[in-house]
Amino acid sequence: MSVIQTVGLIREYQMGNATLKALRGVDITVHQGDFIALMGASGSGKSTLLSLIGLLDRATSGKYYLEDVEVSSLTRDELAAIRGRRIGFVFQNFNLLPRFSAWENVALPLAYRKGEFGPEEQYKRAMNSLSRVGLDRRAGHQPMELSGGERQRVAIARALVTSPAVILADEPTGNLDSTTGNEIMNLLNELHAEGKTIVMVTHDPSIARHASRICVMRDGILTEGESAHVAA
Amino acid sequence: MSLRDLLRTSWRGASANKLRAILTMLGIIIGVASVIAMLALGNGARAAVEARFRSLGANQVQISEAMSFNDGQIEQAGEILSYEDGLLMSEGADMVDHVDMSIGASGKARFGRATLDIQISGVTANAPENLATAGQVQPVGWSEGVAFTMNDLLADGRFFTPAEVLEKAPVCVIGWQTAIDLFGGDGPIGQMIRVNRSRCEVIGLITELESVDESERYRSDPNSILFMPISTVIDLFYEEEPSVQITAYVTDESRMDEAKSQIKEYLRERHKIEPDSEGEYIDDFNLTTRKDILGAQQEAANTFSLLLAAMATVSLIVGGIGIMNVMLVSVTERTREVGVRMAVGARSLDIILQFLLEAILISVGGGLVGVVMGILSIPLAASLNQGMALLEPASIPLALAVSIVVGVLFGIYPALRAARLDPIEALRYE
Repeated sequence: MSVIQTVGLIREYQMGNATLKALRGVDITVHQGDFIALMGASGSGKSTLLSLIGLLDRATSGKYYLEDVEVSSLTRDELAAIRGRRIGFVFQNFNLLPRFSAWENVALPLAYRKGEFGPEEQYKRAMNSLSRVGLDRRAGHQPMELSGGERQRVAIARALVTSPAVILADEPTGNLDSTTGNEIMNLLNELHAEGKTIVMVTHDPSIARHASRICVMRDGILTEGESAHVAA
Repeated sequence: MSLRDLLRTSWRGASANKLRAILTMLGIIIGVASVIAMLALGNGARAAVEARFRSLGANQVQISEAMSFNDGQIEQAGEILSYEDGLLMSEGADMVDHVDMSIGASGKARFGRATLDIQISGVTANAPENLATAGQVQPVGWSEGVAFTMNDLLADGRFFTPAEVLEKAPVCVIGWQTAIDLFGGDGPIGQMIRVNRSRCEVIGLITELESVDESERYRSDPNSILFMPISTVIDLFYEEEPSVQITAYVTDESRMDEAKSQIKEYLRERHKIEPDSEGEYIDDFNLTTRKDILGAQQEAANTFSLLLAAMATVSLIVGGIGIMNVMLVSVTERTREVGVRMAVGARSLDIILQFLLEAILISVGGGLVGVVMGILSIPLAASLNQGMALLEPASIPLALAVSIVVGVLFGIYPALRAARLDPIEALRYE
């Protein structure tokens, strides 16, 4: 079963009179357990594609099947509900809420699932997720009190807490030094080994090499690169 | 989000910048305090009126002659309000059950060698009943508010009868102090005294009285008094027919307006008052009911209340705009936070509720402080309004409800703006 399948995805922006074509018909299929690195120069459309896959944006035309459900015609709130359940985001700048402790940040997606998780259940699941990334001892700390690597681990724990269909990571090591960056990549590798599906945007080939598949965007067109594993 | 999570989120948002939140509350604080003070004034006026005019029952109409000003002199507007006007009223106006009449005079009372300058009260037979319900005086040591009867008032003897009033009987009932001054320690009942030059039998002694209102106690002594039938007083003290005070008791207080116009018609006929060229009557008497007095007193309080209401309205609007301003800033500052929340599954309503609740927290916080400030300001309001201000209990929930409304009204726009943010742009916002 494919987790993600897009057919002829087009995304155009209207800039005054000009039409900017960010995606010119992208077909991509992501299977269960894939670890895909999405590469490309800035402006190539890789971030646009990730936003579409993450249901943060809607395609101008084309089809998008998430777990075999066509999602391009859903309402804003329906998309929000699917994001909260089936997609886990990891951002370059972590995007944790200040003044909220690590575990509260991790529990945030659960808090938005009305009536499904009581306070204790939220805490329990957040702690499970935090211990998966090795940060259960820092659960009570606020983001300001954590190092960059720790913050990104909290963000990954937040992405994991709902057991999503896919984890979308946008330059997850972009704000980290190389040692810390490697630790984060090792963590993503472990998650991949456990069977998680990951789509990661990066422009760094040394980071992309961790993925099982590399896709390259150029001027809004996607080309499948060679498999890193095959290359290695 | 559950209410608990929502409250926690909004609380952290509101308390993130404490000074800003407190400054924002100022308008609401002043507005709510004004609401509390305003209602306290209205309530105080009502209580003061009720205390002062307990004497005027709901079924009573006070009738007095109208005065007119002429060259700085007060003079009678027309005919006097005569004893006969009162005597025949219940026949002329069938909604009048009975009337009380009174007239004052000052004279000398003499017994043996003791002579006394004294206030004489000419009244009808119902007068003590009136005194018992008046609520202005009570037997010494009586607990306020407890009703007392005729028997509680009379220390000895009896009061005069309606028949004695009609036949101008030479009888009198005396106050406690009057009895001491005239008779020393001896029993006064059955004694003959002289009032001015006429002989008069003492038939009753009123028990020692005090004013209910403590501040009144230094001003007048209700015990230096002498009651006589009104007809006897008129006969003894007045050469011409005098004006009397009439209190009419109507049969049905729910039809007070009807009764009043009946009394008017009756008196106009007796005083031969004709409508002028425009069909208006220029009456030479005034009718006063409890409702009239309440209305007049309320009007004075209302002027001041109106001022406070204007101040409250302006403060609440300014406070509301302050809240809107702060919330707009807050939404902008936290654009990225909104993006993150949307990314992890927050729907529009979740975002709206979060920011709306934050606005409400600020306005209700201001409302709570305002309630305290309002209560503290009541003595000040009282001093500006002749001591009439009393906390209206219902004003507290009202003030809090008002602050919630302000929070919702001025918080909804910033909240909607937050909810309409585009998640991608919000996440990218620096």
